[in-house]
Amino acid sequence: MNASRQHQPGAEILRVDGISMRFGGLLAVDAVDFQVQRGSITALIGPNGAGKTTVFNCITGFYRPTGGQISLRRSDGSIASLHRLKDHRIARAGVARTFQNIRLFAGMTVLENLLIAQHVKLQKATGFGIGAMLGFPGYRAAEAEAIDRAVEWLRAINLLDRADDAAGGLPYGAQRRLEIARAMCTMPALLCLDEPAAGLNPRESDDLAKLLVSIRDGTATRSAATSILLIEHDMGIVMRISDHVVVLDHGRKIAEGTPEQIRSDRHVIAAYLGEDEDAA
Amino acid sequence: MTAPAAVPALGITARLRAALVDASKATVVAFGLFFIMVGLRTDVSPTGALFLRTRWLDVALLCAAVFVSRLALALWLGRRKPEVGPAWQAAALSRAGLLFGPALLALALILPFVPGIGRYELDLGILVLTYVMLGWGLNIVVGLAGLLDLGYVAFYAVGAYAYALLAQYFGLSFWICLPLAGILAAFWGVLLGFPVLRLRGDYLAIVTLAFGEIIRIVLLNWVELTGGPNGISGIPRPTFFGLPFSMSGGPQTFAGFFGLEPSPSHRVIFLYYLILALALLTNWVAIRIRRQPIGRAWEALREDEIACRALGINITNTKLTAFALGAMFAGFAGAFFATRQAFISPESFTFIESAIILAIVVLGGLGSQIGIAVAAIVMIGGFELFRDLDEYRMLVFGAAMVVIMVLRPRGLVGSRAPSVLLGEQRRIDARFVGEGRG
Repeated sequence: MNASRQHQPGAEILRVDGISMRFGGLLAVDAVDFQVQRGSITALIGPNGAGKTTVFNCITGFYRPTGGQISLRRSDGSIASLHRLKDHRIARAGVARTFQNIRLFAGMTVLENLLIAQHVKLQKATGFGIGAMLGFPGYRAAEAEAIDRAVEWLRAINLLDRADDAAGGLPYGAQRRLEIARAMCTMPALLCLDEPAAGLNPRESDDLAKLLVSIRDGTATRSAATSILLIEHDMGIVMRISDHVVVLDHGRKIAEGTPEQIRSDRHVIAAYLGEDEDAA
Repeated sequence: MTAPAAVPALGITARLRAALVDASKATVVAFGLFFIMVGLRTDVSPTGALFLRTRWLDVALLCAAVFVSRLALALWLGRRKPEVGPAWQAAALSRAGLLFGPALLALALILPFVPGIGRYELDLGILVLTYVMLGWGLNIVVGLAGLLDLGYVAFYAVGAYAYALLAQYFGLSFWICLPLAGILAAFWGVLLGFPVLRLRGDYLAIVTLAFGEIIRIVLLNWVELTGGPNGISGIPRPTFFGLPFSMSGGPQTFAGFFGLEPSPSHRVIFLYYLILALALLTNWVAIRIRRQPIGRAWEALREDEIACRALGINITNTKLTAFALGAMFAGFAGAFFATRQAFISPESFTFIESAIILAIVVLGGLGSQIGIAVAAIVMIGGFELFRDLDEYRMLVFGAAMVVIMVLRPRGLVGSRAPSVLLGEQRRIDARFVGEGRG
């Protein structure tokens, strides 16, 4: 897509160095390394059972990798070693994620969902709960700011009129968009999406693609441009919006490059079509 | 609201037939139960030997009653199902609901001065308010954070013994011990919270249940400190900011200082307002904290723990604050209980107390303040109301609970009020709200 977004040394936001994940006797991920460039959309693809979600869970801290290193380079140049952090620490370090099966707070309103995403920031403003308890102005200002940010995102995902409805009552496509907005409300440096287009109709997929591009470019709201790492099965979306594609199969990286390169890579074609590589 | 699915209109004969079949089935089940439980009875004959007495008439009557009531129920429900209550009715009901809370509060405030309210009624009021407060406290743990705690009475016991022991050994006054009791209970809440953080659902329930029993058994067996089964007696009664309630009427007593006729009801009225104030404090804190980040994090935890972790919420601290805060209010209530009774023993802190408090929370509707207040009045007040029924009291009481849970499975107030809104006030339907899996 955009050649200038391709590998520039030192411009990567996420570095995955030889991570492995072993479940008992099963080696689910075997020494995978790749990088996510700052300001890019990187797609992680592969057939079912290739280990995509495992890699994803290692990056977001839901699993601790058995080997290898994952480091996040923040915009100020400092580096966070994600493989050593607990999951909520990883979220605080600047990695937000969504889930393959949507995990919204179904009984809470759309607005509440977006405010919980800003919990860490808001909790700091409460002054150990006492200031907020007594209604001090410091907390009120912080809450007003949080609501403003939530409203901005609701406008970006076109859900402003449903702000006070239960998140569980939204249509499926809207729930997907809301989950992305919720992740963005944590103000991450890197947004990780686990199959964001699963179950969407073609029109909704289109809207999603536009939303992801606007998040990457920082035009969705006033918030800064955010790099994106996504797992996706919908090749239409992957090929259209990705700047860089990493292909996994049987826990190993078999190819990476631009969408054009991937489309014509014979290892990838073999993996997807199940051809015998020696014969191909 | 979505329109109900179109139910094919059944003919009256078809409906009657279905109802008859249903009622017959119920009668067969009833016969199977009553045949043994009512039909056969062993009695002692005048000679001292056991003999079997049969009561077939009673069995027949009971089975007939089951048949008739089941038939009526089936016909009535069959008729009612397609209907949906008119919208204005629901709106009027919710408007009445808004006035209900303040009305209840006003009644609570003037209760001691309502004519016809005597010592017995006030004592009952104090008892009900104690349970309202405990219900509101447990609601933080169970209703908001979704952590099923079956050992809540342990913190109540910690609070009560904290006051009793501090007063006995160090001579501290009630007003110093009250916050101390809360802090100690909160401390024990954190102590219990740590090991159970990783547990969920049934496992959490079992461990908290065990914790409640451990506290009671320690109190029972540590005879040198707690007096064991004899309990602690002579716990100092509360003073009106240093002025004791005494019948002597001297200048240093409550009655003497205010120039009143000494009366034993002064202390009861004082205790009543004391527990009312403590309960309202609990309510105020719970309402305020729901609108704060930590309160929202509790509810988010109840809805989805994994999503919380992905949003950077520290699960450990969030759960511990819920445990600690819930336990603190139980500690306050415990200290109040000790000073009211002037005598405590481990007998007062058995599992049934935890069960009653939990029943109040579930019956009232998880997370609903007003629902819990009403449930406490119904449970504790109702229990007193049925006192004349003697041994059938538990039966009637159990049946009443079953009826409430059948009619309102999510408690009296099942819907949830959002903690923050952009637009106008509205509530969230119970079917979306999670119950928490521990």
